[in-house]
Amino acid sequence: MLSTKFTPKNKMTKAEIDRKWWEVGDYFRRNSLWLLMYCTGCCAVELPPSMTSAYDMERLGMGPMATPRQADILLVSGYLSLKTLRRLIYTYEQMSEPKYVVALGSCPINGGIYHDSHAVINQLDQYIPVDVYVAGCMPNPESVLNGFVDLMEGIKQKTMNGWKRYHDHFEWYKENQKNSLGEVIVHDEFHQ
Amino acid sequence: MKEMKLFLGPQHPGMHGNASVHMFVDGDIIKRSYLLPGMLHRGFEKQMERKLWVNNISLIPRVCVPEPDINEMSFATAAEKILKLEVPERAHWIRMIILELARISAHLMAYGGLGGPTGNYTLMYHAHVDRNLILDIFEKITGARVYHQYIVIGGVRQDLPDGIEEDINVFIDDLERRLVEYRDLGIDNASIVKRIKDTIMLPEEVVWELGVTGIGMRSAVNKPYDVRKVVPYARYDQVEFEVPVSDYSDARARLDIKIKEIQQSIIIIRQCLAKMPEGPVRVKPDRGQSMRWTVPKGYAYAPIESSRGEFGYYMVSNGGTSPWRVGVRGASYPQGLLGIEKYLPGTRIDDAALWVDTMGICSPEIDR
Amino acid sequence: MTNSINNLELVKELVSKTTTILKEENIDVQQLAFEVNTCDIHHVLSVLKSAGWKQLSYLSAVDWPDENKFEVVYILFNWDKPVYVQIRTKIDRENPSIDSILPIFPGAKYYEREAHEFFGIAFPGNPDYEKQLILEGWDDIPPLRKDFDPSAYSDRKFPSREYPQDYSVTDEKNHSLEKRAERKARAERLRTGGKKQ
Repeated sequence: MLSTKFTPKNKMTKAEIDRKWWEVGDYFRRNSLWLLMYCTGCCAVELPPSMTSAYDMERLGMGPMATPRQADILLVSGYLSLKTLRRLIYTYEQMSEPKYVVALGSCPINGGIYHDSHAVINQLDQYIPVDVYVAGCMPNPESVLNGFVDLMEGIKQKTMNGWKRYHDHFEWYKENQKNSLGEVIVHDEFHQ
Repeated sequence: MKEMKLFLGPQHPGMHGNASVHMFVDGDIIKRSYLLPGMLHRGFEKQMERKLWVNNISLIPRVCVPEPDINEMSFATAAEKILKLEVPERAHWIRMIILELARISAHLMAYGGLGGPTGNYTLMYHAHVDRNLILDIFEKITGARVYHQYIVIGGVRQDLPDGIEEDINVFIDDLERRLVEYRDLGIDNASIVKRIKDTIMLPEEVVWELGVTGIGMRSAVNKPYDVRKVVPYARYDQVEFEVPVSDYSDARARLDIKIKEIQQSIIIIRQCLAKMPEGPVRVKPDRGQSMRWTVPKGYAYAPIESSRGEFGYYMVSNGGTSPWRVGVRGASYPQGLLGIEKYLPGTRIDDAALWVDTMGICSPEIDR
Repeated sequence: MTNSINNLELVKELVSKTTTILKEENIDVQQLAFEVNTCDIHHVLSVLKSAGWKQLSYLSAVDWPDENKFEVVYILFNWDKPVYVQIRTKIDRENPSIDSILPIFPGAKYYEREAHEFFGIAFPGNPDYEKQLILEGWDDIPPLRKDFDPSAYSDRKFPSREYPQDYSVTDEKNHSLEKRAERKARAERLRTGGKKQ
């Protein structure tokens, strides 16, 4: 007589179950992405049009989120001066995993028009891992939205694993941050 | 009582732009506060010295992001003052159309920005949709949505495209009808009128102490202190418009003036479209090679009325192919830095965001 | 305004009465520039302020390394008699220092802090001119001085992206010849409709 207890023939290992759960999680995650509104640079001025009725980002299931702890995407909108980069690294480390970084504009790619400036960094992926770049100065709302669609596709294909890279090469990233910034900790009148 | 530290920004939904207001609060009341600028510092003034006069045209719009055209205008007029260059008549009128459209777009953005601190997001959505229509007109005229690089030294880059007058007319007629709606949604809306009425006052003596210009000043001193009227540039002396003023400057009065200024800008654009003559739109400076031309030695300061106040470039040339020194007088410098330090203490925490919004503080032009 | 010539005359008279003018320029119908001695700056500014020029529009400095001088610029404006007045003075480039104008114009506070940050000019009298304002943890000479090279600083501090292929033009002359040949070939193709002869 067969047992009433259900026992599958091949027991799934813990790693497999984890993977399944991640797949399920990724499915829901990519269809409801929360965007951290940190307007680091001038590309932020094209975000309101793409968020409001004209281009309507919400039809992709995306919305703005005020706190970094509940956001999925860190949107780096434009150039990063040293002072912003310090705060950006703070913000990035506060976000809960999995987290994705979308960089808008040509400045995070190679410095853009500020490539020889004394205050603007040249390449963002030396300091934090970047998943999607949207080129242009400044990118149209269409290309911004296209970048997000790329991100969703990448989450489906499991290629958007910048946050894992940040774990794996943590020392390398920290060293780069220290080389350019001096120190990552903020020292000013307020924080003493 | 205990003093608590609190900071508003740089990553905060009520904050406009990447700047931080540091506050020491006691309960709800701010005891001390100051702005922490510099998060958008790109070293513009240094970079302009390293680029040719022509190259600079592509760099300068980035100084102030919501209203980039004032930078181009200010840079071009400053250089024209040193060059003693006469701009063709039609170019002046085209410049005025561009500047007024940019002013409307900046005012709409600031007025919609009221939605952030007061939680009235419908207003924000409406304002941004109308602003997007202006960006579409800009795209037709200049080819770019935000950074136009259209006003150059010696005129404008190219003539207006065919049929743009009709597009502009359709848009401004539509916007004029909607201004009533904007009043109902914003300053006359009972749900937020308590937040903006009789709060964050700006008395007249504070205006002179801080050196505030623009809407903040006009709302307090009750006199038409507008650079367009007082020191007319382009052809503002040939159009008729009023400068809205008030003698009681609370947040609501300042927003009211914003709406009235949009109305006046519409009137100016109508007159420009009617009065604009035909003719060339650009003269070349004709000093040396095609790109590496020079500007004679000289100093000039070119003030422009931006949507936030007097904006100007201080330009020094030593006769070379690139400027020797360009200083940017950001319109929001006094109210942004000194205003927050001296005048915000005593108000409530939630008024800080309203101060930033209604006084028109644009952090990229403070930092440069 | 209608009587802008009278306003210009008024400013000239005011300034020439109070101090010796080293240089005078008429930039515009509504703009004047004066160069005065450093010790007279406060006197001139307070006289102009009491005459109605009570808005400080701009304060900054210009670097002149050839003369070994910094030039400090004050721009004042009067809304009722609309004339912009530039007051300039030259100070030494070694250990530059000029007394703060804070008692006359309280609005100068942050302009002076910025001038100190970007040029290294000291403003004794301004209580916190030495505090950092815009830059954070700056470790080089003040960035707006002419001998500071931002490009070298950027190369030293920030790694740049390396591209696998170099698209920059090394030989300008050959490049233009190549381009000309390309253009000719293209014109030829267009003429013959793409067919080979």
